[in-house]
Amino acid sequence: MLDRFLSKESQRKRALKKVGQGVLHDYLSTPMVNKNTVCEDLIIVSLDLETTGLDPKKDKILSYGFVEVSHMTVRLAHSSHQLIAIEEEIPEESAVIHQITDDQAATGIPLEEAMPILLRQLAGKVMLVHYASIEQNFLDAACRKLYGAPFVIPIIDTLVLARRLFERRNHTFQPGNLRLFNLRPQYNLPNYKAHNALSDAVATAELFLAMATDMFPNPSQCQLRRFITQ
Amino acid sequence: MEIELIEIRDFLAERPPFDALTEEQLDLLPKQLEIRYLRRNSAFPPEGTTSNHLYILRSGAVELLDDDENLVEKLGEGGIYTTQCQLIDISRASKGVATEDTLLYVMSCKTLQNLRDTEPSFNEHFSESMRDRLKQAVKTLKVSNNNNPLEILTGEIKGLLQKAPVTADVESSIREIALVMSAKNISSMMLMKDEQLVGMITDRDLRKRCVAAGVSPDAPVSAIMTSDLTTVQEDTLIIQALMIMTKLRVHHLPVMRGDKVVGMVTATDLARHQSTNSAFFAADIRKAETLDTLASISERLPELQYQLASSSATALHIGDAISSLTDSITSRLIELAQMELGPAPVPYVWLSGGSQARREQTSHSDQDNALLISDEMRPEHAAYFEELAKRVCDGLNACGYIYCPGDAMAMNPKWRQTLQIWKKYFNTWINKPEPMALMLSSIFFDLRPVHGEFELFEELQTEILGKTRGNGIFTAYMAANALQHRPPLGFFRTFVLIHGGAHDDTFDIKHRGIVPITDIARVFALDRGLPQVNTTNRLRAAAETPILSQEMGENLIDALEFIASMRINHQAEQIGNGIDADNYMSPDELSDLERRHLRDAFRVIQDMQETLENRYQGGRFR
Repeated sequence: MLDRFLSKESQRKRALKKVGQGVLHDYLSTPMVNKNTVCEDLIIVSLDLETTGLDPKKDKILSYGFVEVSHMTVRLAHSSHQLIAIEEEIPEESAVIHQITDDQAATGIPLEEAMPILLRQLAGKVMLVHYASIEQNFLDAACRKLYGAPFVIPIIDTLVLARRLFERRNHTFQPGNLRLFNLRPQYNLPNYKAHNALSDAVATAELFLAMATDMFPNPSQCQLRRFITQ
Repeated sequence: MEIELIEIRDFLAERPPFDALTEEQLDLLPKQLEIRYLRRNSAFPPEGTTSNHLYILRSGAVELLDDDENLVEKLGEGGIYTTQCQLIDISRASKGVATEDTLLYVMSCKTLQNLRDTEPSFNEHFSESMRDRLKQAVKTLKVSNNNNPLEILTGEIKGLLQKAPVTADVESSIREIALVMSAKNISSMMLMKDEQLVGMITDRDLRKRCVAAGVSPDAPVSAIMTSDLTTVQEDTLIIQALMIMTKLRVHHLPVMRGDKVVGMVTATDLARHQSTNSAFFAADIRKAETLDTLASISERLPELQYQLASSSATALHIGDAISSLTDSITSRLIELAQMELGPAPVPYVWLSGGSQARREQTSHSDQDNALLISDEMRPEHAAYFEELAKRVCDGLNACGYIYCPGDAMAMNPKWRQTLQIWKKYFNTWINKPEPMALMLSSIFFDLRPVHGEFELFEELQTEILGKTRGNGIFTAYMAANALQHRPPLGFFRTFVLIHGGAHDDTFDIKHRGIVPITDIARVFALDRGLPQVNTTNRLRAAAETPILSQEMGENLIDALEFIASMRINHQAEQIGNGIDADNYMSPDELSDLERRHLRDAFRVIQDMQETLENRYQGGRFR
């Protein structure tokens, strides 16, 4: 409960005390990025998870996609898409959204193998997501289950940024306006038809570049602390 | 395996030059890219990059400017900026600015080089200079047309059948058959039994198997007919029929629809069809006895242009062929007129002007001509030449060369004059070039003798060129004239900005693409006193003088050939679809690649026009 009022750096140190040796320990041992870092010097990982539902307690991660952003450039060379094997059947209502079938999911790797990859990728960096509670809560639940400690990371959430922009400009908006693919056209970003965790991660990364250059035309004013949403 | 980043892959796969890559290369390509975002009004290429890159516009627009802030090019969705990766900087663009919010795909020059090294067809798009690109484009145009050099013969055999089949009962006597054949003036007959084709008899059979063999003419024709027949179906390709005839050494092939006889095709039919070429036309023209005959031959000129365009003919060659035939028609019309009017009382020469003179005609342009008469002419001769000019111009009009809208024809008394008067005309035009004279300059500064005493023209031409050579004031006016028609580069700027959707815009490829080069070549020819009239020949000759560099000369020649080929192909397609050929091209007709090459060609023109503008200071006259 108190975590909300602690800085990410304090949260990280507290979590580090709880965790035993292993990947999460290594992860938590890496210092957080300084909040005053300018965007140009940030290393950001844009991440998207596809899940069987919205509840991290009972739903499962089906796939992840991430791409790295550094020097305000999306580095497709540092991108990855991975399906995750789950034991139960995929609920039909979620399969409609992410279009991952049971057969495909069966070709994935177990969560126990996926988490170390993700944690190594994210260590010391900033996580960029659109609607952070999914990624934050599912990764946190996975860390607590697998390693017995919470997942801590500075987060940029393009949905929150968009909502703030709407509010600041006194624009009324519907929840639908804040969806990733409704926001992109405002920045003259193309429509991506394909919909998987990686293409969404790329789409989010592009949206962030657009929002950041829009909010801070002067690159020296573009600093991490202006964006951190959690 | 699932292809990652398929959206990016597919975006690239649709566009040249990436469409030249293999599937495997395309699959691996996205992971070698980076993505950058440029806010509207920010600098392009993006600042803060140290190494060199190729940029592909995923969305948005970028304007490229030269050192003087002039707009050189506008890139739209799919536009590629290669300048940083080229060893020789061919683009005059030194900087740019994003005019819309722009998403860029970025590829390192090293990645580009790897692709160029492994994929030759991809590499071709990155030829180091525009000149190479144009040369390549002209070559590709020829190759794609060359895929089927016998396209002339790709029609179906039924297209050749003119008459209903002439058949007879197989029970007829040889004599009866021979009588029908000679009455109908045919060389063969098909013989039927119960409406089924059972045999065939030819002139040759009558000679060899009847007369020479001593068979009675009263014997049944079945005794000497050929019954082991090879037939073809009516949808057989003409080329295949020709191959069957050659292989079997036969000259006649019955044509069937199912098992029903529909006609007969002969080797002569095929030869005639195959030789729908200028030589064949020219022979027909020379033999024509009436205007009607000439007009009906002339009606087939678009067909000839179509066939030449479908074969490997270059635009230069087609222009030459069509112009030669117009010459032949003109000459024949003069001969036909003189059969009635008698020979001319004094020497004269019929001159063609404009595209016919330059040997750059496409079928059925307007007629531009003039009559140059010896100074021996006396007033009483005027009626003869008036009648001659009238008949020839009317005849040309009847043959599809419509009257010149500007009245630049020999039937206009103003353009039917003695050598002395013509010299005066040119003196005035050259000394006091006025807009009126300039309007006619594209006709009368491109003159070529067609019929009569060519020496008369040579004297006039020597006089003209003597006065224009090195004549700064006159050439400045001509240069200003040459700058009136500008290539539609702006058209490409707008074009890239239209995000999909229909656009009805067309551009006039003749006036925006061909005329500017023709005008430029004329300025050079007159300035240097060159006797050449054909644009390519003028450019070649000019490139031998200091007025035009060899390289620019070649660029202009290639640009002309490319643009003229595009026009010829455009017209061939219209002729093929049974519509009248015009010069209005829609961007939709062009592939991305053609658009790029056309833009290159237009840029060559623009460069040359700028040079002209500076050299002759032609701008001040506009």
